[in-house]
Amino acid sequence: MSIETLEELKKAITEYDREKTISLARQAIQERIDPIKALDAMTVAIRQVGEAFGKEELWLPELVGAADAMSAATPIIEEEIKRVGAKKESVGSVVIGTVYGDIHSIGKTMVATLLSAEGFSVHDLGINVAAEGFVEAVKKYKADILAMSALMTTTAPEQRKVTETLREEGLSDRVKIMVGGAAVTQEFAYSIGADGYAPTAPGAVKLARSLIGK
Amino acid sequence: MALKGFTRNFKPLELLTDEEVEAIHRGTLEILWATGVRFESEWALDFFEKNDCKVDRDERRVRFPQGLVEECMRQCPGSFHIKGRGPNNDLVLGGNTLYFKQSAGMETISLDSYEPRPPTKVEYSDYVRVLDALPNLHLYAPYPYFGFEGVPPVMRIPEGVALKTKYSCKPQLTGYTRGCEIFNIKMAQAVGMEIMGSIMASPPLTWFEDSIWEARRMIEAGFPVRTVDGDVPGATAPVTYAGSVISSNAEHISMMVLIQLLNPGHRFMVAHANFPQNMKSGAPAFGDIGASIGNVIFNQVWRRYGIPFGNDSTGYVYGKVMDYQTGYEKAIGGVLSAISGSNVTGFHGGVSSELSAHPVQAILDDDVAGMIGRFLEGEKVDDETLAVDLIKEVGPIPGYFLNKQHTRKWWKLEQFMPKAADRLTYPEWMATGKKSCLDYAKERMEEILATHKPIPLTPGQEEEIERILEEARTYYREKGLISEEEMAIYRESMKSPN
Repeated sequence: MSIETLEELKKAITEYDREKTISLARQAIQERIDPIKALDAMTVAIRQVGEAFGKEELWLPELVGAADAMSAATPIIEEEIKRVGAKKESVGSVVIGTVYGDIHSIGKTMVATLLSAEGFSVHDLGINVAAEGFVEAVKKYKADILAMSALMTTTAPEQRKVTETLREEGLSDRVKIMVGGAAVTQEFAYSIGADGYAPTAPGAVKLARSLIGK
Repeated sequence: MALKGFTRNFKPLELLTDEEVEAIHRGTLEILWATGVRFESEWALDFFEKNDCKVDRDERRVRFPQGLVEECMRQCPGSFHIKGRGPNNDLVLGGNTLYFKQSAGMETISLDSYEPRPPTKVEYSDYVRVLDALPNLHLYAPYPYFGFEGVPPVMRIPEGVALKTKYSCKPQLTGYTRGCEIFNIKMAQAVGMEIMGSIMASPPLTWFEDSIWEARRMIEAGFPVRTVDGDVPGATAPVTYAGSVISSNAEHISMMVLIQLLNPGHRFMVAHANFPQNMKSGAPAFGDIGASIGNVIFNQVWRRYGIPFGNDSTGYVYGKVMDYQTGYEKAIGGVLSAISGSNVTGFHGGVSSELSAHPVQAILDDDVAGMIGRFLEGEKVDDETLAVDLIKEVGPIPGYFLNKQHTRKWWKLEQFMPKAADRLTYPEWMATGKKSCLDYAKERMEEILATHKPIPLTPGQEEEIERILEEARTYYREKGLISEEEMAIYRESMKSPN
């Protein structure tokens, strides 16, 4: 029964069915399926979609559809993990958000979902996040990586402000900084003292792994 | 089942008022009666005389009464079907449907120097295979190349028809020289497909005997016929586009009358291939915007006639290399031809006027054809595409549409994805070697040649094609049109695996 439910859960993600994914996540908890196994099943599904995206068999609408379904169900499973006191293995801790003055979320959410799928503990601060907000979260979650997104040329400089604030707080040696978004380039990333830049969401996952040596 | 082609879902572009179209029609009728058209064929002169035309034997001119012209026009089908090889490769020509065909090039070109040279037999068949794989190429023109190394001139067309028949199921237009249509027809019949005879006028206002034979033999075989004018406004037609369309019309209509008298209701279409005169070099001005003005006028007039029509000049450009000029000359001509209602637009492969062609250019052109075709399809408007409920559901930021089922359902229908264009982000482009569309097109050609497998002929069909080619070789040797020396070189070229 539990195997069937986990298979259904994977299928719901690969069919981009948000409501069904949520409902199956709840069903998995009711059936007392190990929440770590449920999370693993969802990770397998999103990786499958990500690989198909990499091969140009699927495209952004499908990738985002799957990511959307997964991110809707993940808090349900994570709450259960917390409740039963299970230990989720983490590749690393990531704080992510869109910088102050910028309210675009699609790319940032996609990166967050794919990082979750790869086993990172992701703390998504949302959009319009001030430099202080990023710094506090880095401290609170003992982040290995800080990932910032900026879509507009007018908001990209805000990423510089965050890196400077981290430096002032003495955190810049403790956390790797990744930047991304349509307004950002590799050159810009280096110029503000970021550790890395990736132009796509799957590229961001590879970059995150390489930054922490995993 | 027919190849889909593209359906135009909006009113076509028109340059003229109804009165102006009528004036062109009246002018055409006046030329057909007052001036007439020259036919270099005793048979044709006799035939027209017996059918109530006024024939001047000294000048070999035929003058056409208005009543006969209009009666023959009424007999032409408004659309017709042409059968490809196999079950799913037919075309339905006419109405709001656009198909693309390739343009011809005498020779291939080096991708390094852009200098033309004769293709080998392998290069010829490779080009045919690439064209077979392209989704937006529906119909073969009489050539991709004018033959290949070692083939005597009289065998170039039959050898080309054989290779196209072997490596593609798409329908073909066929050319003619020295009666080679006899063998072209036999090859088509041997594999159960149809060919469409493409016959060229000799402007101004003249038809030569070879063209007339091609028409007669196609009619006898029951295959459709397409006339092509080839006017050069300013040289072989009036420099004004309105006047040049009258001259072209008279050429098309005179042959149309012959065809409809021979076989009322015979499948027939016309193609405008006009190139304004380059007033410096004396060559036709390929890729000139004037050709498009002529095409749009021609298309409007022939739509009024209700007879399928197309444009051939769209496939020929001044550009000598696969560059910006070649791209804009083709794209502008192709767009204007398509939105003014063409049923068949010549497009793929040609570089440097009719001197050369190359499969890489055809691959680039196929993306442009796809973009034009997508535009032609227009936009469906209903509750689902208006998406009012969805807009309400998503609302302002942080809502977005990328994760919606509606997006997943519609995006591939709404967007056209070119196969050889550079669509990378700037960093990706930098990281992958700064490739251009030309690099991608070259890679795509290699991929097609490595993976695309055209539907093969049966062994029996292959044998029959070879038997017909051998019959043609014997026929032309007996007529003294292939010398022993030519035959020795030809035999060598035949040893090539393709």
